[in-house]
Amino acid sequence: MAVRTIDVRERVMARNDLIAASVRGRLQDAGVVAFNLVSSPGSGKTALLERTLEALDTELDIAVITGDVQTQNDADRLARCTDRLVQAVVTNGACHLDALQVETALDAIDLGRTRLLFIENVGNLVCPASWDLGETAKVVVFSVTEGEDKPLKYPKMFREAGYAVLNKMDLLPHLDFDVAAAVANARSVNPALRFFFTSARTGEGMDAWYDFLRTRVEAASPA
Amino acid sequence: MALEIRRIAETRLAPDERARLVTVGLEVGEESGLEPENLRFCLAAVFAEPPFAAPRTIIERPPGDALRVTYLEVDDGRPDD
Repeated sequence: MAVRTIDVRERVMARNDLIAASVRGRLQDAGVVAFNLVSSPGSGKTALLERTLEALDTELDIAVITGDVQTQNDADRLARCTDRLVQAVVTNGACHLDALQVETALDAIDLGRTRLLFIENVGNLVCPASWDLGETAKVVVFSVTEGEDKPLKYPKMFREAGYAVLNKMDLLPHLDFDVAAAVANARSVNPALRFFFTSARTGEGMDAWYDFLRTRVEAASPA
Repeated sequence: MALEIRRIAETRLAPDERARLVTVGLEVGEESGLEPENLRFCLAAVFAEPPFAAPRTIIERPPGDALRVTYLEVDDGRPDD
């Protein structure tokens, strides 16, 4: 068998990054701040968004895109907290959202009436770290029911994120979780990571998160 | 990721070459966040379907976070020279 070699040298993410750049431009032109929420399954992304929508939906004109491997359960939960459309993307087996899915979902969102967009990614701390969706920043959510070493086990995700939310703080008295160690581990991977400490269930720490969102939306709004 | 690699192979090969793809060459950087054996497993699944015929995967591990399809090898249908 004679074999012919075809030189390719193509970045796997090249096509996605091109679409992501287009999404980012579209959002910037509309003055929309977009946060890509990434986490392992069960860290409380949907609960965090439910609380946030209840508190800020009308104030900040929030739109949401949710990604799930199967079902649109998260979108259905969030739709109860807002009158606006919650765009559900079912990935049919894929373990992450990609920029094309977000670009398509944006077509159904009135960006003229949106100032803050949340993209709730598929629960997975590996692949979503590699996929640029055109977001303003990634927000990694993890909870005190997970290990303090999560940032060391999944360094790329914590390196790619601009912000971290440590959630389920109300459970801390019942666990051995070491908050200082978790923060130190995360900052050893990404020294610039900014933390929020929340309980989406009780509301603890949510005010700092809300103030941060208000500040970011205000800064992006046309003068 | 595996599906995207399959898409790149589809775009780089003519339709009649796809079944004759024998090797997919990749660079998966040590800091790419990908575990080569996991990727190899996924690639075996997505390249098992026609028009492909289960090509082998050769993965290099350079430093850094590169993630690149470097080359494709196709059986050109001729006997060895």
